[in-house]
Amino acid sequence: MGAVAAIMTLTLKEAMRRRAFLGTLIILVVLYGLSFLPKAFHEAFGGSERRFELGIQLMTSFGIDSIKFFASVLAIVLSAGTITGEIERGYLAAILPRPLHRWQVYLGKWLGVMVFCAVNVVLWSAMLWLSVYLQGRSRPEIWHALPYVLLYPVLYGTLALMFSSFAGTSVALMFTVALGAFAYFADHFLRPLVVFIDAAILQRIVWLSEWVLPMATLKRFVMAEVRLPFTGRIEDAPFASEAVRFFLNPPTRAWELGYVALYILVALLIGGIIFQRRDVQ
Amino acid sequence: MWAIETRGLKKVYRSLIGGTPVVAVAELNLQVPYGCVFGFLGPNGAGKTTTIQILIGNVYPTAGQAWVLGYKAGALAAKRRLGFLPEKFQFHEFLTAEEFLKLHGRLAGMDGKTLAKRIDEVLELVGLQERRKSRIREFSKGMQQRIGLAQAILHDPDLVILDEPTSALDPLGRRRVREVIEYLKQQGKTVFLNSHLLSEVERSCDMVAILNKGRVVKQGTLEALLVHKSVVVLELRQVVPSVLEALERVATKVQPLDTNRVMAEVADERAIPELARAVVYAGGELMGMQAKRETLEDLFIQLVEGEAK
Ligand SMILES: Nc1ncnc2c1ncn2[C@@H]1O[C@H](COP(=O)(O)OP(=O)(O)OP(=O)(O)O)[C@@H](O)[C@H]1O
Ligand SMILES: [Mg+2]
Repeated sequence: MGAVAAIMTLTLKEAMRRRAFLGTLIILVVLYGLSFLPKAFHEAFGGSERRFELGIQLMTSFGIDSIKFFASVLAIVLSAGTITGEIERGYLAAILPRPLHRWQVYLGKWLGVMVFCAVNVVLWSAMLWLSVYLQGRSRPEIWHALPYVLLYPVLYGTLALMFSSFAGTSVALMFTVALGAFAYFADHFLRPLVVFIDAAILQRIVWLSEWVLPMATLKRFVMAEVRLPFTGRIEDAPFASEAVRFFLNPPTRAWELGYVALYILVALLIGGIIFQRRDVQ
Repeated sequence: MWAIETRGLKKVYRSLIGGTPVVAVAELNLQVPYGCVFGFLGPNGAGKTTTIQILIGNVYPTAGQAWVLGYKAGALAAKRRLGFLPEKFQFHEFLTAEEFLKLHGRLAGMDGKTLAKRIDEVLELVGLQERRKSRIREFSKGMQQRIGLAQAILHDPDLVILDEPTSALDPLGRRRVREVIEYLKQQGKTVFLNSHLLSEVERSCDMVAILNKGRVVKQGTLEALLVHKSVVVLELRQVVPSVLEALERVATKVQPLDTNRVMAEVADERAIPELARAVVYAGGELMGMQAKRETLEDLFIQLVEGEAK
């Protein structure tokens, strides 16, 4: 386990060196500043207590969305250049002759990226919670959603690391972003379309996209913790059939989390196996 | 038992999208005895680096086998007792020299106390003790190669594999590497090195293998490979036929170079005084004489060019 720990520490050091934490700091400050907007508006223009409450609610869910997004970006950026990128730069040729297994290097890198992202996500969440708290509100759902938010960088980082096991930095980055974009597009554009076009094929594509990358699954788990009190969303579609409404707003089911875990594990394994079998030169 | 042994080793590089496959190593049979400083020579692209990468387990052979210290190449047990300096060395440049060695010591499984002591020793050996707190990023290329050498010998390995260890070094640095190799040899370690500086190799190696197009074309001790013949250049006041005739009776080959120089080749160094005697008896006026033992470079060029023909 010593080798895994050493590689993990090295990865963390490298993440620090790459000034990843500077970006983090900026996000922190922006998040902090933005989340005071409801209070600022309330004080400037007055308005009802309910409107203020709604503002807080909006900021909370916007904050969580940003954390999800930036954590994913951070994980992708840190992972995409890992295996092939480091082979090309020549780092690994000197590390691998040491008495360690390649999977230890792989696991160490993975853990390093994950720990770095997790620390960031916890920091950002704490900042969000604090700023809401300072406005006289408590939003414990930020903490309730945290485990699911943490799965975002795990999912994307694992994927990018897997791609990096055979593809160079920019290609691995592209593959991961393309998959993410496909999943996002399917969930945010194709899914609502079902309200207007009730086609089985459309529904199948959307479900498929979720198997390919269970991002919408994670979104639902986060949303289940932080519900927006809005009405009149297209997803609520009061005029649509029961089946369409179910498709638009599927419930969260425990086995789906199992699928996410399996997905991450399999991606980790595939990447590890490719790395194990390839030449390092 | 050999420190390094390969049998029918072969490596073919294929690109994913078409292209002709490159045979980097064709049919390599190599035997490196324990405790020897072994020079692994060959022209650019002969397959030296590829062979070394197979030996340390970074690259998988297409066919054949390789054993290192009695274990299959790439086995943990072999890697535990092996030190390696890559050809295209590139180390984590954000670490200081000391942090870098600490990382490698830790990966090699050394405990803190031994490691701290050993870091001092190897930094001293490669002459970087004053720069131990500098980041590798701030190192010159030659200093990076030195820290790479320090890393390779850090854990007191039994076998040290160096892929062009002096490519970035100044003459002083090269001498230091020679001293390090000498020190390793005195401790009974095996050193396997690859270099294009044949005079360096001649000075530090006991044995060499000359590689061309992925095959060993010559392998043996330096003495065995280089004793055969000696070439002597004789300087005369004037080259006359009688002198040439006399020389021909002693030498295996005689060749006038210009009006006052003759090159003569003898089968054995012991025949060199005979050449002088022959010139004098034939009435020639000998002004000077220079014996040229065949160098590794001569052998190398002859073998590699011979192959090309
Ligand atoms: N990763 C690779 N992909 C494809 N071909 C390669 C690869 N690495 C090496 N080769 C080819 O294999 C052959 C041997 O290369 P290698 O690096 O082993 O030579 P070398 O003897 O170390 O040469 P040099 O003295 O220049 O370092 C060359 O023809 C090279 O082009
Ligand atoms: Mg080479």
